Amino acid sequence: MKHYEVEILDAKTREKLCFLDKVEPHATIAEIKNLFTKTHPQWYPARQSLRLDPKGKSLKDEDILQKLPVGTTATLYFRDLGAQISWVTVFLTEYAGPLFIYLLFYFRVPFIYGHKYDFTSSRHTVVHLACICHSFHYVKRLLETLFVHRFSHGTMPLRNIFKNCTYYWGFAAWMAYYINHPLYTPPTYGAQQVKLALAIFVICQLGNFSIHMALRDLRPAGSKTRKIPYPTKNPFTWLFLLVSCPNYTYEVGSWIGFAIMTQCLPVALFSLVGFTQMTIWAKGKHRSYLKEFRDYPPLRMPIIPFLL
Amino acid sequence: MAAAAATAAAKGNGGGGGRAGAGDASGTRKKKGPGPLATAYLVIYNVVMTAGWLVIAVGLVRAYLAKGSYHSLYYSIEKPLKFFQTGALLEILHCAIGIVPSSVVLTSFQVMSRVFLIWAVTHSVKEVQSEDSVLLFVIAWTITEIIRYSFYTFSLLNHLPYLIKWARYTLFIVLYPMGVSGELLTIYAALPFVRQAGLYSISLPNKYNFSFDYHAFLILIMISYIPIFPQLYFHMIHQRRKILSHTEEHKKFE
Repeated sequence: MKHYEVEILDAKTREKLCFLDKVEPHATIAEIKNLFTKTHPQWYPARQSLRLDPKGKSLKDEDILQKLPVGTTATLYFRDLGAQISWVTVFLTEYAGPLFIYLLFYFRVPFIYGHKYDFTSSRHTVVHLACICHSFHYVKRLLETLFVHRFSHGTMPLRNIFKNCTYYWGFAAWMAYYINHPLYTPPTYGAQQVKLALAIFVICQLGNFSIHMALRDLRPAGSKTRKIPYPTKNPFTWLFLLVSCPNYTYEVGSWIGFAIMTQCLPVALFSLVGFTQMTIWAKGKHRSYLKEFRDYPPLRMPIIPFLL
Repeated sequence: MAAAAATAAAKGNGGGGGRAGAGDASGTRKKKGPGPLATAYLVIYNVVMTAGWLVIAVGLVRAYLAKGSYHSLYYSIEKPLKFFQTGALLEILHCAIGIVPSSVVLTSFQVMSRVFLIWAVTHSVKEVQSEDSVLLFVIAWTITEIIRYSFYTFSLLNHLPYLIKWARYTLFIVLYPMGVSGELLTIYAALPFVRQAGLYSISLPNKYNFSFDYHAFLILIMISYIPIFPQLYFHMIHQRRKILSHTEEHKKFE
């Protein structure tokens, strides 16, 4: 068996960083990254980007050395992706924040509202209901992160956690402030409006969860395979007939429900910003599906049936 | 900061006339400029803007000579100032449709901060219109914009006189701080009137469970100058070193 030699150069400076000899032909990029870490321990595998061309795309961890267009002496270029943090850590942190923060406002912890309101309770039913819904939503997200989602990437850049937490925690505080305010005004159409909104919210939460389960079942544990998602026996998944990312569709729906329930402008703004971001993600995902699968169902739109 | 921001991403751009190019004015980077129709439109746009700000400059000088003092000159150039500064919103469109190779986000930020100062502060709070701080930023903006728009005009026509390039990358050293001072002093002067009138503010309780305190918002804006202005300023200094020394070297080898 002929062994390969692998030299790793810095993509920017072309400096020779590492030379590996006697590399097995069927070694994967993941294994090469591990070897590289031995000589440069500060660059753990998650922060390495190895590519064939200094300006090219990153090679995947599963790629096999002998299948790459290289000679028996392979030259790989290295780029430092910066400090990395695991997706699970980021999700748990960004979701635990809103759960906790909202409750601070709900219980009217001192120094938020005037002293005479400390630890008082709202007299509006909808405020209690909103707290239950908001808390449920984030508990659901935390549980899904721990037990449902199967992530294709292990890590993301460290700076993302600051950006993401600012967004989630900031908006949670802003919404919670008004909903739990002593001067909160309940919805104009009263109990009818709240009931309708609650129905929308519950349906969309169930829908969102159903999609997460369906997506999880598409991919075996520990694998990174990608398949076209299809509707299952669960009626909530039938939205797959019309959109590529029904999880986002249901998520937007949940927040619209919450906005109607609380009749609170900051909630509507949060829904709008979230919708904008999810639309960008949905369009990207839709494009990837189209590129990867020739037989992708043509009726599907990224996030809103027939429209967007 | 509106003053700083507008010339901030002033990376010299040979052909595109854009705000943020590669910072390489001698054109060693391959760049696909705008098509002939877009170029013609952009030349017209930049010429019109140069002319507009010249009108403002002349208006200031004439008013000064007529009045004999530099106080309250804002009223003499109020209309062209509003018209031409607001017209700069088109530059966001130029980036969005791709005829100018700059970031839509950066350009939006720059133009919106100018438009904010003109309409949401100076126009809205009549009491500050007679402040000297207004003159400070108007002069800074006027000189900056005349140079900037002529820079783009000449760049699009591929005949950029060194003097204009020098001016764009040197005068900011004084004009930025001057403009920023004028802007901050004006916002500061507006504060008591905003609070007194409850301008653009809404308080609880209301149907949509929302509140906004414009006075607090303006203070936040002033605070934001602290991190943003030094970044923009030193970016320009860095650009200056890159672009002016590069041209010097080219001249040496001629």
